[in-house]
Parts: sequence; structure tokens; C-alpha cells
Amino acid sequence: MNRILSYIRRKLSVRVSLWVVIFAAIIFIAALSFLFYQSREAVRQEAVSRATQILDKTSLRVESILNRVEVASEMTEWLVLRHPEQADSMFVYSRGMLLNNPDFYNCSIAFEPYYFKDRGRYFSAYSKHDADGIRTIQGGSDNYQYFYMDWYLMPKLLDKPCWTEPYMDLDVPTNTVETVTSYCQAIKDRDGKVIGVINTSLSLNWLSHTISAVKPYPNSYSIMIGRGGTYFVHPDSTKITRQSIFTQTMEKPDSSLSALGHAMTRGEEGMMQMQLNGEKSFIFYKPLGQTGCSMAIVCPERDIFGGFDRLRRTVMIIVLAGLLLMLYFFIRIITRELSPLRRLADEAETIASGQFDAVLPDFRRTDEIGQLSHSFGNMQQSLVRYIGQLKDTTAQKASIERDLHIANEIQMGMLPKVFPSYPEREDVQIYASLAPAKEVGGDLFDFYFRDGKLFFCIGDVSGKGVPASLFMAVTRSVFRTVSAHESLPDRVMTNLNKTIAEINDSLMFVTLFVGVLDLQTGKMQYCNAGHDEPLLAGAGVGTLPCDANIPVGVDPTWNYSLQEADIYPRTTIFLFTDGLTEAENASHELFKIERVRETAEASLSRHEQAPHQLIDAMTAAVHEFVGDAQQSDDLTMMGIQFRPGA
Amino acid sequence: MLRAQEETIIFTPQWTAQAQFAGYYVAESKGFYREAGVNVRIEHPSSTQPAMTRLRNNQCQATTLQLCQAMEIVDGGIPLVNILQTSMNNAMVIVSARGKDPLTQKGARVGIWSVGFGQLAICMSIQDHLDYEWVRFAQNTNLFVAGALDATLAMSYNEYYQLVQAGIQMTDKNVYRFCDHGYNVQEDGVYMSRDYYESHKDLAKRFAQASRKGWEWAAEHPEEALEIVMEYVDREHIATNIVLQRLMLQEVLRLQVDRESGEREFRMRPDMVQLASHLMVENHMLGREITYKELSYE
Repeated sequence: MNRILSYIRRKLSVRVSLWVVIFAAIIFIAALSFLFYQSREAVRQEAVSRATQILDKTSLRVESILNRVEVASEMTEWLVLRHPEQADSMFVYSRGMLLNNPDFYNCSIAFEPYYFKDRGRYFSAYSKHDADGIRTIQGGSDNYQYFYMDWYLMPKLLDKPCWTEPYMDLDVPTNTVETVTSYCQAIKDRDGKVIGVINTSLSLNWLSHTISAVKPYPNSYSIMIGRGGTYFVHPDSTKITRQSIFTQTMEKPDSSLSALGHAMTRGEEGMMQMQLNGEKSFIFYKPLGQTGCSMAIVCPERDIFGGFDRLRRTVMIIVLAGLLLMLYFFIRIITRELSPLRRLADEAETIASGQFDAVLPDFRRTDEIGQLSHSFGNMQQSLVRYIGQLKDTTAQKASIERDLHIANEIQMGMLPKVFPSYPEREDVQIYASLAPAKEVGGDLFDFYFRDGKLFFCIGDVSGKGVPASLFMAVTRSVFRTVSAHESLPDRVMTNLNKTIAEINDSLMFVTLFVGVLDLQTGKMQYCNAGHDEPLLAGAGVGTLPCDANIPVGVDPTWNYSLQEADIYPRTTIFLFTDGLTEAENASHELFKIERVRETAEASLSRHEQAPHQLIDAMTAAVHEFVGDAQQSDDLTMMGIQFRPGA
Repeated sequence: MLRAQEETIIFTPQWTAQAQFAGYYVAESKGFYREAGVNVRIEHPSSTQPAMTRLRNNQCQATTLQLCQAMEIVDGGIPLVNILQTSMNNAMVIVSARGKDPLTQKGARVGIWSVGFGQLAICMSIQDHLDYEWVRFAQNTNLFVAGALDATLAMSYNEYYQLVQAGIQMTDKNVYRFCDHGYNVQEDGVYMSRDYYESHKDLAKRFAQASRKGWEWAAEHPEEALEIVMEYVDREHIATNIVLQRLMLQEVLRLQVDRESGEREFRMRPDMVQLASHLMVENHMLGREITYKELSYE
């Protein structure tokens, strides 16, 4: 099963064919189901009308004979009541009944006990056909007390003429038994008192033959039951008079058979569909006149729907075969149509393996597959071209990277990089670090000694990369140039600003802090152009107050203010760029000035306020904070510790 | 030859062949009578020769009768001896039409056998002030099924099942069982005229014992007994079927078990004889009390 499923999953042609065939099958099933249902209904209707007609016809035939009996009985009653006191006339009337109606089985005109005083307890004028004609005798005796018989009691008790349940009539003189049904009518005198009963019997033989002969389908059969459900006509002769329609339900309840039995014994007319003797059948039933009997035609479904079922089977076989053929041809056709795709796939594999010059097949088709092949060819050519361009670009990029590397080296070369820079000087200790975010950065710092003073600066150019680095190089050169003949930081800054602003076509700017520390007095003059305020780490950690000046390069006319501060011995001036306070971790949180101060204070508490100690501690703190996050900005720190008399 | 002639008993059950007489058929076909040295011929009654007529005319030597019937006959001047009592319980029921309770149908038309099995029902109708109008019928249940009667008497092993077979619904409400209302008088037993019994005591005893053996065998092998019954039924062309006969046999065997002892006792119970006698005398169906001793062979 799994193998089949995996095969289907692998084969587009099989999958598409299956979908098509399944869809077709669903449409077929829906359409055929509707058709079959309608046809079956039509066949059923036809069967119902056929059976109903036959039932009606049979019932009419039976009723016509029954009517004759009823009319004859009424006539006889009229005759009897003309001379109810003449016992011998009764023999004549009873005989006359059979003479006029040779198909009647027998006739009794029976009277209440001792009705004719001179005739004793019993008087029943009984006539019956026999071999020699009609035999007429007095039928009552101690051994045949007719007034206990159903036929005598029923019309009296029901107070109307009626048909008895069929019964076995024993003819004593000939000792023959015949199943008969009797029409009985009470004879009432003028006072309405019952004086006797006229009983006219019909042999059930003719009725059985009439009903048994009803056979609308080859395997159908007819049954007739009495009021109590007893079978009087049934194809299984062992059931006749011995079993009733309810017999088999006594040991094995069968609700549908019971329902049929009750409907028939209630004298209803109708149709039921049920399992009868292991076969699904339609049963049509109708009462037979006023006899209390009911007849039914049992038609097995296989008979009614035999032709229809054969037709349905044939159609289903044709449809099934058609669908299978359809599946076969679809798979074949789709496989053939899709075969170029297979070749294209193979070629694509070849190209993917790096063989860009592989020759694509020419399908000479204008359909979607032709278009796909054409597009594939175009794609191959584009790929070849693109890969050529990529090679060039890669080569250029490698050259740029090389240049950048050199630029970085040059940039770094501009900045002091050996620490301690002036090991011979004991009055000051300087330490700095610069970590650019890209190959080249826009941060700068510088310091040098002139006239017993330390000139220093730290700055941060707007933007990053090569433009920032060039701007930084310019700034650093101008700082050196200007500070060579200017000793006041505000003058340095103002000149520097003018110079840079004039050549600043790219509208860049730099935040810059310029300081001049008199190493004799510890007095520091400084000017801050929008840079982060430095920290002073001595007895404690404090911020060097700075005026609000705009960054360098923005406005050439700006006059920068000069500020002064006394630097106490052993105090370290900690300068940094915003790469420190704005260092970002993975959660985009900033390091912030608070952490800078905390780190500085921690360092101070450990008496590690020497520039390199402070910068190392700061570097470690930033690294720990940032973690694996990428460095977002250049990070530059510089520490200057004033150590007079060290 | 003479002895064999002397020792032949013609036995006539009181009804046509059916499972009600299974024990006798078993005793005959399994050879229990032969083993007991009794030559038994079972001859069923006909409409012209009912069982009692045959006994009276000496056409048979033994017949089955219900206890009440036997009492009426003895009261009528024909001494009888009960040589084997098979029934220990009363089987009579009243089945009412349209699901009604028979006890609420005062003055109803109730069917009763014309040959006279319904003595207890007549007593009950008088005692319970129901004043039923009794309609005597020859046999079967057609009048009731046709709706000509409000209720009918039935034997729980025979007509009861015939009514079920005719599609009549039986409920606790529309079936009145005499045995549950203080009328539990035993029914079928085998009777002989006292004259014949007195001169054939040993033969009667062996006949009774073999018959009892037949019943005991039937109780132990009900399906085989049913097959034997069906042979007799078929031979006599009786319009019945195996389903009815199976139910009848089950019920007849159940009725043979005494309610108090839980056993097949095969004896007349003096208390039941006395109850039946009292009831029938009280309701003027007997001219005098008939005693257990009068009927007993002891």
C-alpha cells in the first residue's frame, strides 16, 4: 500500500489521471444514482399498479360469486318467512337453493331447538350435491348439535348476516371433508326473534384455484388468510389450515410479518415491503368481500426488479470498464505529454551541477511546455551572463576590500598607537583605544606635547565608513595644523571649524573635544563642540561641565567658548565617543552613561583609575553588555591621568 | 390368546390428537405399555363419538377427563375411578377482547365449550357477581376472533396459543388465570368406570404406571416426545402445527408440576377435590358432594 502511495506521489501523470477519473466517477455515480432511483421508482410504480389491478380483478370475481350467495340467501329467507311454520317446506327451499346454484356446496336451513315441536330438539334442512344429484336430509342430531356451530352462532351474536371463517366440513354419510366458507343469515320472525339460521356454503376449492392462479411474476405467489390469520391458500400446502400468518412469529418474533398479519386480518388494503422467508418481497393485499378473508400477492423483489437489476449491473460494468480504460489512457497521454519536462529536469540538473553551457533540447512546441523550454533557455543564457558579471564584481570587491584594508592601516597610523605613548614622562599617563564599526571609522583622538602642555582632542564624525574616515583624517590634520600655533582650545576649535566648514561640501560634521592641560599647574583649558562630556575619575567620579556648542563643520561663523578646570593630581580624564554610551545589546538596549559611570566608580573603588585600567574595565563591561550583538558604532576611549611629581 | 384379549385396553383421550396427550403416545410408541404387559390401543374421539359416549358404550376402557367433568359424571350416576392424575394445576383462562379486564366486564358474552369444561368459570361468574352470558360453542376460537364474543374461555396450553396465533395480543390485563384467583383445581386425569376397574385392578395399575412412565420420559425428552406427538397429529390429519404443539407440550408439562412441592406428583390432591366439590355444590352444579374417596382407586 505504501509503495503504491509513494508511486502515486512520485508520478504526476498517475495523480492527475486519478483525479480526473475520480471526478468523472463521482459525476457518473451521481447521475446514475439519480437515473437508477427514478427508474426503480417507475418499475415499482408499475408493479404496484399491476398487482393492484390483478387484486382488484380477482377480488371482483370473488365478490360476484359471494354476492350471488348473499342474494340467494336473502331470497330463501323471504321464502322461509312466508311459511315459517311448515317444516317440510324447508327441505324444498334448501334443495332449491342448490338446484338454482349448482356451484354452491351445501345449504342448511336450521332452526332453534324445539322450534318445530313435533320434530324434537333438532331441525336442520340440509342439502348437498352428491353423485346422484342433490341429497336433502335433516342434519341435526345429538352428535351434530348445529346450534353450537360457528355458522349458527355468528349471525345471531353479530346480529347481521356474515361469512364464517373457512372450516373443514365433514359430510357424515359420505365421510368426506371439504374446506368451506359459509354465508349465514339469521331468520327472524315478525317480533324480531331469531328462529333459525340459513347457512349457504361455498367450497374453498374454486376460491383457492382462482387465487392460486394469480401469478403476475414468475416467482410470485398468492396467499389467502382468514380472520384469525389462518392460511387457506398458500404455495406450501402443509401450512394450509394448519398455520396462521402469526405462527412463525410465535417462536421468532417478526414485527413486519406481524404488522402484515394484523393489517390483513383487520381487512385493510395496501402494500408492504419486507423480508419474507429470507427473500425481500413486495406484498400487496386486499380483503375479499365481506368474508373476513384477505388475499395477498407476494412478489419477490428479484422478480420485480430482475430486469432493472440486470440493466443496472450491465451499465455499472460498462461504466467501471470505461473508467479503468480512461485511467489507462490518461496515464499514457499525460506521461507522453509531460516527457519533455523530464528531459528539462535532467538538463536543469546538469546546469545546476555547474555545466552552464549544457545544450537544451529543442521541442519545437508552442504550448506551455514549449514556452517553459524557451524560458529555460533564456534563463540559462541570463545565468551565464550574470555569473560573468558576478565574477567581475567579485574581483572588484576584492580590490576594494584590499584598498579598505590599506585605508584602515593608514587611518590607524595617523593615531597614536603605542601606549604608553610617552614612557619617559611621569607627570602624565595616556591610554586610548579605537574600535571602528566598519573597516574604517569616523572616530578620532590625538594628543601631543608643546610648551609643557598636553594638547589633546577626541571626536566623532557623523556617519561611518570611508567618508567618515576621510573627514576624520581631515579633522585630525587640521587639529594638528591649527594647534601648532594656537594654544587656546576655543581658538583651535573656532579656526578648525572655519577651515572644515569651508571645505565641507558633503555637509558632514564632527563632534569634537579639544583640551590643553598645563602639566605644571594642572589647569586644563578646554572647548567642547557637541561632544560627550568627559568624566573625571579622582576622589570620585564626576562629569566635566561643558558649554553647549554646535559640532564642527556646521556653521563657519560660530564662536566656540573656552572653559577651564583644575585637574587634581591622580585624576584621570576619561574621554569617549557615543559608541560607548550607545553600545547596543541583542535586545536593542543601550549601555548608557549610567553604566559608564558605574563601571568607572567600580574601577575607582578598586584603585584602578589608571587610564589603561579604566579603559580595560570599560571595554570588558561593554563586551559583557553587548554580548554577541554586532557593534553598531565606532567606539573610542581615551584616558589621561595627571600625575605631577610622580 | 384369551388373556391377550382380556388385557387389551382401548384408551380414548377426550380430544383430538395433540400434545396434551403426549405421555400416552410416548408410552405406546416407546413400548412402555408392551413392557408392562398391557395391550393398549389409542383411539381418538370423533364428532359422532365423544370420549364419554365411547366409555359409556364400552367402546373404550379408559379416557381422560377433567376433575370437574368426572365429578359431574359421577354425580350423574356413573361411578368413575381416577387411575392416574396428570394435571396438578388449573389451565383455564378467560381472554377478553380489546385488552379489557375480564373482571370488569359484567354481563359480557363469554364463549364456553359446549362439551362442558367450564364448570369453574361458571362458579366464578356467579361468585364474583359477573353474570356472564355463556355462549356454548363446539370448538375453536373463531367466534371470539370474529368479534362475536366479548371474551372466551381458553386452555392455557391450547386455545390460548391458538388465539396468539390468530394475532390476539395477550397482556396481564386481558387474561384472567383461574389458578391465580383461588380456583386452582387440577384437571386432566385418566378415568375408568368403577365396574371395569374393580375387575381389572392389576391391568389398570400397570396401564397407569406405564402411562406415568410415558409422561416422565416426555418431560425428560420434550423434543423427541414432540416428534412422536406430530406423528399422531399427522396420522389423524389434525389441522395444527409443530409450533403450537411445542408450546402446548411445554405448558402441559409445566401444569403437571405441583406448585407447592415443585414435583410431578401424579396424584389427586384431596384438598383440590374438596374445593371443586364445594364450589360446584354451592353453585348447584352437583347434587351432592363428591369425595376424594369416591374417585380414588385406593
